[in-house]
Parts: sequence; C-alpha cells; structure tokens
Amino acid sequence: MMTKTTFKLNLGPQHPSTHGVLRLLLELDGEKIISCEPDVGYLHRGMEKMAEQMSYIQYLPTVDRIDYLAGFFYSELLCRIVENAMEVELPDKVRAIRVMLLELNRISSHLLWVGAFLMDLGAVSPFFYAFREREMILRYFEKISGQRMMYNYFVFGGVRHDIGFLEDVEEIISILPGKIDDYEKIITENPIFIRRTVEKGILQKEMALNNGITGVNLRASGVDFDLRFEDSLYRGFDIKTIVLDGKDSFARYKARILEMRESIKIVAQALEYLKKSGSLEQRLINPINLKLPEGDYFADIEAPRGTASCFVRSYGDKNPYRLKWRTGSYYSVNLLRKLLAGEYLNDAIAIAGSLDIILPEVDK
Amino acid sequence: MDLNKFREMFQGCELAGNKILIKSRMHDVIKFVTENYPYDILKEITAIHNPDGRIELIYNLYSTVDEETLLISILLDGNEAESVSDIFDSARADENEIFDLFGVKFSGNDDLKRLYMPEDWEGHPLRKDYVQDDTRLAWNDDKNNV
Repeated sequence: MMTKTTFKLNLGPQHPSTHGVLRLLLELDGEKIISCEPDVGYLHRGMEKMAEQMSYIQYLPTVDRIDYLAGFFYSELLCRIVENAMEVELPDKVRAIRVMLLELNRISSHLLWVGAFLMDLGAVSPFFYAFREREMILRYFEKISGQRMMYNYFVFGGVRHDIGFLEDVEEIISILPGKIDDYEKIITENPIFIRRTVEKGILQKEMALNNGITGVNLRASGVDFDLRFEDSLYRGFDIKTIVLDGKDSFARYKARILEMRESIKIVAQALEYLKKSGSLEQRLINPINLKLPEGDYFADIEAPRGTASCFVRSYGDKNPYRLKWRTGSYYSVNLLRKLLAGEYLNDAIAIAGSLDIILPEVDK
Repeated sequence: MDLNKFREMFQGCELAGNKILIKSRMHDVIKFVTENYPYDILKEITAIHNPDGRIELIYNLYSTVDEETLLISILLDGNEAESVSDIFDSARADENEIFDLFGVKFSGNDDLKRLYMPEDWEGHPLRKDYVQDDTRLAWNDDKNNV
C-alpha cells in the first residue's frame, strides 16, 4: 500500500541564489511546497546592541553595512535623526547632493537586483550587462567618497566634501536609459521569462499590507504608497511613483525597471541644480561630545527594499539608550512562509528572488 | 483620531507626546483601531527596556489611505504581553525578534524561537540587565585570563 509522505529540503544558506545567507526549510510533497520556514540570523552583527555602546559619530560609519547595496539610505537615516534632534535644517545644495546620491544608489541597487533575479531564473548574461552599468555608478561613488559600497559620505548636517565629477553623472544618466531599453528588449518580452514570472507568486493587496510589505513590492500590488512625497529631503523635486496592478513577479520586475527610469529623471533634476549652484554651505554639527536632548526620535525613508526607519531614544547621553532599525527585507523574508506554500520548488527561487531580499538588512 | 471615544472604551489610556499610552489589553486596542479606522499596516513594534526595569512596547500603525501614523505604547509589568499576530501577520516577525532580544513572551503566538542568537544562548542581549560575560566570545575570554 502506498502512503503519502512528505520530506524536508534545506535550501541554503550557501546556495548562490539565496542572495547571501538565507536558509529556507521547505517541506515538500513531490515537487510541491507544503510549508516554508525561513531561518535567518547567519549575518547578525548586533547593529542595535552596538549602537548602545557607541557615540553617534562612532556609529555612523557602521550603518552603511546594514544594507551594503544601498548604504546611503541608512547613513541618511542616522544623519536625519541627529539633524532633527539638533533642529538643523539642511541647505538646498546639501539636499540636492543627497537626493542625487540616494537616487543613484537606488538605481545601482535595482540594477544588481535585475541581474541577480535573471540569474535566479537561469539567464546568466543579463547579470553581466547589469553589473557593467552598475560599475559606472560605483566608480562615481568611489571618486567622491573613496569607497565603492561603504561610503560614510553623509555627516551630521551635511556631506563630507563638496560634490565633484558632475560630468560623470551626466554621462551615467545619458547612457542608462538606452541600456535599460536594451534590458527590456532581451528580458521583458522573452517568452521563457514571461512563463516563469507572469501569474507566479501572486501577492494580493490585503496580504501585502497585512504582512507589512512596503516599497516596490507593495506598489506592484496596486497600493500607492511612496514615502518620498512627504519627505522634506525631496521637497521641490518632481517625483512620479510607479503603481502597477499585476501583483505577480512580472509586475515587481516591471515596477523596478520603471522606477529606475523615474530615478534617472530625479537625478537629472538634482544635477541641473548642482551645476548652477555655488559653493557648498553646510550646517555641520560638531560630533565631538555630541549629546542628543532627552526624547524619542524617529526617521523614515523610502529605501530600495521598502520603508526603512530608525528609532532612537535618548536620555541625554552621548550614546543612544535604544536604537532600532526597521528594514523592508525582514518582512519580505517572513512573507515567504505564505507566498511559497502551494507553489512548486522550481518557482520558489524565482518568487523569493522577485521580492528583492537582502540578508544583511534582515539580520541587522 | 478621536481620543474621547477611545478613552471611553479603554480605561486609563492617556496621550503622552505623539503616542497613546495604554495600561493593558493591547490586543483589544489594536483590534478596535483596525476595525474602526483605516490603519492597514503595522509598520513595526519597538521594544525598549526602560531604566525602571519595565519593558515598553511601541506599536507603529500606519494608514495608506489617509497617510497617518498612530503610535500606541504599553508598559509591561512582567515579561508577558498579548500577541497581535492574529490581526497582523507581520506582528509574528516582530514578536519573534522581541522574544529573541528582550525575552518577552507573547501569549497567542506559539512559534516564538531564537532568531538571531544561537539556540543555546542564555539571556536576551538588548535587555539592560544582560551581562556580557559569555566565555565563548574571544574578548570576554581574554578578560578572564588577564
């Protein structure tokens, strides 16, 4: 007599398509996934505990490592906490520099995602194309900050040096739209790609909201939610948000491609301003013996992987009493429990890939 | 949000800064708020181990409809709290993190486990009474040998 049995499969943490060190414990019936249990924590560095033992300026260089593909966003959050606490308003030029770098960082992060996602689906060449374009952006970041990924360029009340090499940015934004057209030509209408993404990993609006999903993943499920509109940093910039109603992996891909195009337009606006602007005027806060006044401080930003936020409680000491990070990927990983149940194993990697999970952000 | 109606329902709640401080029944409060107001995302639950030894939980609710944030906070008497994971699935993840780092047990959430810390780790590192003397860590070992 045949008895129905299920078995457990360990996916990761060393599997190349798990974007770092994600471990999924899958229960399978044949090739069908019955349940999925994500196991995180392989990259835990204790970012929150570290903060309690460091002064703010000591902590600032470490926050880029929370998400090494979008380091500027986390520097910006910590700077914003301190700036809000010390009641410093940023001059327009500093805002323009920050917006330009944040949006370039968003493009580089999405470019890596496009490459890695296609690699998950088995197409290797888009990975090299995407990295070629990403390299231009990283070279520029290296020129201005000395670092390709861990920039430590934003400081409390301004930026470390005046911005330069604007002709590089001009070159990047003139080349990129054509390259994105090329990606679309080889990816968007590719029949294999369409079969593996359309109507796969459907994320309904209610389910997304209930699971705390934010950012592009939420907007690809038809919810118009973009923090950049209420963000004072982006004041005066013309921003268009991309809301798609596809709800599947394909919609999440398309939303990121379109978002890159919109980010290029924002970079162009910031560049236009910076070319005309005069010398850099900053409101630098002296980081030596910096003590935040007693109280709770909160800052959030639209990061490439969803809403990122930072909470600080200070009792007037030189280090925070409690510091908490909220990152978008943490909720995306937990969504996999729901999203993968009932799918086939060969779709699991594609669906997990489409959510743009990055593990240092999950583990903090 | 109309606080008076809220006050009638839940005795002893008060407005502290930008957040509503309640005494107990967090599950009922979150249920009431989500049923009567368009708060659809529980963005995060923040836990703080206050200097008086009590753990404070701050629930950050957000409405994508009218773009408003609501903070509800509670001071726990012991290490036990009510789970809201049946209302928001995302709370499951937050509660697990708080269990791991603060040792708060959420009644109603039955799959709390060690998340970041190893399974055999003793203590909860973000508590203020946590002592860092684990000899498995190189720097603590050095200190003992000096």
